[in-house]
Amino acid sequence: MTSAVLEKTNLKMVETNGRSISYLEKGTGAPTVYLHGFADVHGVAGDFLPFHDKLASATRLIAPAHPGCSGTADLSEGYGPDDAVFHYLEFFDAMGLKEFNLIGQSAGGWIAAEIAVRYPERVKKLGLIGATGLFVSGEHIADIFMHTQPERGIDYATLREMLFSSADAPLARRYYPNGRGDLDEETRRYEMIRFASFVGFKPPYLYNRSLVSRLHRAKMPAAVVWGEHDRFVPRAHGEAYAAGLSGAGKLKVIAGAGNAAQMEAPDAVADIMLDLLKK
Amino acid sequence: MIDPVQLYCWHFMSYPHLPADFDEKYDSGWVTVPNKLWDKQRSRGLLNEYIDQLAYADELGFDGMVLNEHHQNIYGLMPSPNIIAAALTQKTKRGKIVVLGNLLPLHANPLRVAEEYAMLDNMSDGRIVAGFAPGSGPETFNYDVSSAKSRDQFWEAVELIRQAWTREGPFAFEGKHYPLRYVNPWPQPTQSPHPQIWIPGARSRDTLTQIAKNGYCYFLSSRSHGRETGKSVQRFADVLKAHGDTYLPRRMGILMSTYVGETDAIAQEESREGIWYFLRNCLKGHQRRVGRQLTFGPGVPYIPPNEFREYLKNSDPTTPLLGDTQDWSDLQRSQSIIVGSPDTVYQRFMDVLEHAPVGHLLIQFHMGNMPDECARKSQRLFWNEVAPRLKEATGKKYSEMFDNESTRQVETAK
Repeated sequence: MTSAVLEKTNLKMVETNGRSISYLEKGTGAPTVYLHGFADVHGVAGDFLPFHDKLASATRLIAPAHPGCSGTADLSEGYGPDDAVFHYLEFFDAMGLKEFNLIGQSAGGWIAAEIAVRYPERVKKLGLIGATGLFVSGEHIADIFMHTQPERGIDYATLREMLFSSADAPLARRYYPNGRGDLDEETRRYEMIRFASFVGFKPPYLYNRSLVSRLHRAKMPAAVVWGEHDRFVPRAHGEAYAAGLSGAGKLKVIAGAGNAAQMEAPDAVADIMLDLLKK
Repeated sequence: MIDPVQLYCWHFMSYPHLPADFDEKYDSGWVTVPNKLWDKQRSRGLLNEYIDQLAYADELGFDGMVLNEHHQNIYGLMPSPNIIAAALTQKTKRGKIVVLGNLLPLHANPLRVAEEYAMLDNMSDGRIVAGFAPGSGPETFNYDVSSAKSRDQFWEAVELIRQAWTREGPFAFEGKHYPLRYVNPWPQPTQSPHPQIWIPGARSRDTLTQIAKNGYCYFLSSRSHGRETGKSVQRFADVLKAHGDTYLPRRMGILMSTYVGETDAIAQEESREGIWYFLRNCLKGHQRRVGRQLTFGPGVPYIPPNEFREYLKNSDPTTPLLGDTQDWSDLQRSQSIIVGSPDTVYQRFMDVLEHAPVGHLLIQFHMGNMPDECARKSQRLFWNEVAPRLKEATGKKYSEMFDNESTRQVETAK
């Protein structure tokens, strides 16, 4: 099914342990792995966006697609977050990545954090943007699954509001239009929500209750970035990540942006990440 | 000889006491509908009234009664259909008790379903039909079950239950989702080797294949009937053939709704309020474009991406659903809710069965907030004045269509 998608983008494929993993790659220098979220490369877009291009100006940016997304093979039925972590270990090995920087957004940020607390010696710097993954009592990650069901069969306004600064933000309208969108983009959206359903529907939603007590193991320099208007992952989660990661310093809030801050404020978020990579 | 169509009385047990402005004030009748709307006083005796309607169908002579499982909605007040089935085992003596079905992925251990169905089969002296369904839509939100995982869990659970009823215990079940060291349920079902298994499906070829391979009965989970229903029969027949089996009417069932009155005008008059309560309120969040339905779509990703892509290509998100029905003539076209005199209802049911020769017709009589006496009257008129003609016509027609097939099957078996 992905051959049509492949032709239109710069996707590359690597085979590992009998499975193929698709990824995008750009730039030179120290390797930085980027794990995508929903409103993101692989989550809806077929190629790098301005945020990724800016990062690629200073690093070798490698962005693999999650299991079942953008041509990456599925894991066997019934997998969970640990399987996603092992999926990425296979990818790192196949790509010859012994040490690397790791940046992740929303559900991709969660998987990045899970990798960082297990293999802190391999992750040199850790960047999180609007990341899910933590349980914070009384501050629930919003129900992206329910809101991915359109109202009246066609209206994605509440999903746009969850992912962007507002339902009418131009990028929100561009990637989550009402009615039928671009077939490839809608397919990528479906693959990403399906990945999220595998790793994060239970418990509701997209967290691992043990993760917060493991954060202290990840002592590398880190940056935690949140959109001012994030209505998907409450800012309290950003505060909890910043408090738990000793290398993080203060939570950085991006004015005017929603959960997909890397899309809505690409320069501001990329500058923070480029600073982190210099540390 | 091929059996005529079997006729069952289906009940959803909907909540009938919603305020008149429910549709204006509330987004959905499912999952998030506030339970402060439950009126404790007015609801006293409600479930018993519904149970008695089913028992009345049994008294009239219906071939069976059909129950179903729903959670946290106004559409169906049977979170545990097995409890209603248990009541029916004591209140009725004759008809099949079809539980369609237990939602297996909602159970931490589906062995419990094997045990409860076995108990019910004993309590009813072998009258249970065991339905299983995945519950991948709204129920995933109620019970926190991943839609993406639910199909795989479902088929493993079905296999566990089938083995629990057919393999000598104790045995170890090497399941991915439900690994068990000791499977050895007591009691065992009364029926041999086990109660008939019914499984709903719509468009998934994988589901049809599983049903065909294992000898289960296919319940077409579509609300509207027309040419598509005939095509579904053909599709299932093709899959059966590919597995060396032959389609016979007893392998398949469909759901329709009806209200029977003395004349078309009386039928419309008596059913109007109940039907529109059902369409506007009960189907809001399920089969209506207004609001947000949780039954199928990108937020409940239980089908593989390539199948979803095909669906995107071949569907129009603005096509009206059953609950969007505007008026009587609109309703007429849906071939889903048939309202009229015994003649009209007979004719319209036969129109469907002509193109879709199924062996099990599951019929919803009570709709929305329909009063008890109306539901009973419609059941009675149907049984006395429509059922005999349906039985006669389908007995003849099915025998002409399938007798050679069944004879051939018997000979091959020898």
